[in-house]
Amino acid sequence: MQIFLNTIFTFTLYLIIAVSYSIIYYPTKFFHIAHAAVITSGAYFVFFFVNEFSISFPLSIALAIVAATLVGILCEVLVYRRMRTKKVPILAYLIASIGLYIVLQNCISLYFGDDTKIINTKEVTIGNQIFGAYITTIQITTVLVSIALFIALNLILHFTVKGKSIRAVASNPELCNIYGISSNKIILIAFGIGSSLAATVGILSAMDTNMTPTFGFNLMLYGIVAMIIGGVGSTRGLIAGSLLVASTQHLAAYYIDTKWMDAITYIILILFLIWKPLGFSGKRLKKVEV
Amino acid sequence: MHLLILIALYTLLSQSLNLSAGFTGLISLAHAGFYGIGAYTTAILSTQFGFSFWLSIPLAMLISGAIAYIVSLIALRTVEDYFVICTLGIQIILFSIMNNWMDLTRGPLGIPGIPSIHLFGLSLDSKISFLTLSLSFVAIVWFVLRNISKSGFGKTLIAISEDEIYSQSIGKDVYFCKIVSFTLSAMFAAIPGALYAHYISYIDPTSFTVNESILILSIVIIGGLGNLAGSFWAGAFLVLLPEALRFVGMPDSVAANMRQIIYGLILVVVMMTGRNGVKELFSKKVTA
Repeated sequence: MQIFLNTIFTFTLYLIIAVSYSIIYYPTKFFHIAHAAVITSGAYFVFFFVNEFSISFPLSIALAIVAATLVGILCEVLVYRRMRTKKVPILAYLIASIGLYIVLQNCISLYFGDDTKIINTKEVTIGNQIFGAYITTIQITTVLVSIALFIALNLILHFTVKGKSIRAVASNPELCNIYGISSNKIILIAFGIGSSLAATVGILSAMDTNMTPTFGFNLMLYGIVAMIIGGVGSTRGLIAGSLLVASTQHLAAYYIDTKWMDAITYIILILFLIWKPLGFSGKRLKKVEV
Repeated sequence: MHLLILIALYTLLSQSLNLSAGFTGLISLAHAGFYGIGAYTTAILSTQFGFSFWLSIPLAMLISGAIAYIVSLIALRTVEDYFVICTLGIQIILFSIMNNWMDLTRGPLGIPGIPSIHLFGLSLDSKISFLTLSLSFVAIVWFVLRNISKSGFGKTLIAISEDEIYSQSIGKDVYFCKIVSFTLSAMFAAIPGALYAHYISYIDPTSFTVNESILILSIVIIGGLGNLAGSFWAGAFLVLLPEALRFVGMPDSVAANMRQIIYGLILVVVMMTGRNGVKELFSKKVTA
């Protein structure tokens, strides 16, 4: 039962990361590694606002989400957009975003130090008991918030004009430009939504455990793995992917050892890339494989 | 002296990565993993079985190459950025093996007491003699890589990085060439690994993390893809940078972060301008 509850918690966390990641990935088609820094910065901004300006906790969270979203948007406006006008190969974006991630992550380390920080001000409680298993209030909040965000996002993507435009740009940016949908503007919106979701996840995860300047990187990688396993462009795929990653990690932690959790996650990824390179959904990712 | 040795090691590392990343276009984030395999193989062989350096270095290259071969069979089924993510996964798997397989690698405790290198009965424990040794390795590897890049095989690799489908259409075995280049690159990465283990005489997994991989990759990119001399200059630059920062009066803790911020920025700028390395930033136009 405990494993089940933990799995549910991790599953929802990964699900939102995968979603926030994929909403940027759909229209841009490259791996935005600096996303990890956005996740981290969300949590650190909360810490910053609470400690430096002694703003109340809920307000700090709201401000932090805005600030982290700005970080994500700045990445797009200052770097990626300029690259896009030059038609550079897709790998160049990936490398540039690795560079961005290094810059941002080290700025955080420089300002806050490399040691572990805690933003949860409440004292640690034993947690609520459900069917003989324990779950903390933060974890319950995470599960609820994540599910709410996931449903809201899907409604946005499928039933609003902006959401439909994101999906349109994802399938063919040039055609969208012809029809008068500015792909740059839509990509900017995608970065905004994606980054704010990422910041939310960062804050929730930092409240559940604690944070270091690099904690976003692992979270983001799990999100990417879930996205690739699930298959890009499919909602059900994302759910299945995150569920698979989360449950394998907890089962591995229980039956083998917690220290092999990371390795096992990537072994699944590699197995998937071999046998089912298109993920659960079977949608073609991009271009033909040679 | 210590800095010169580090420059030599990073030159070896980045030049070996340049073979796969620069010539073939296989951007790999698993290079620190292979570097680590080299270091661990020699460390284990020399502390537990008393192998000499000259025996353990070829063995380290073989093991690293064998692992790279198996890995490349799998990883090379993917292309471009999926390949990068795949190598990132491999890097993390290799790291967690180094960090967690207590029986073999002693995990985070590391392996202490790696003996210094003996050459014709002489012990190479002074820094100057070690530097000579590493420089001669740099010379050998540089020579070999230069010849590979000039050979027909090297030309094929460059062709693959430029147009994979076309190379295949004129009868080149793209998959095979990629495997060979990836494996060779990992074998060469084992050399600096072995040197590092003997030089520091103590290794632990924290030297072979993802960040190390990113650092090596950025040396290659800053130096210019497919530019061996560029790798050397960029390696020297990144090793000397913290010293320069210390010289202008920055405390060590800040300098370490500043160094990373600077090379991150260079990486972004190089990619944004779409040029191939810093050297060509102002000269001729090259599409990456």
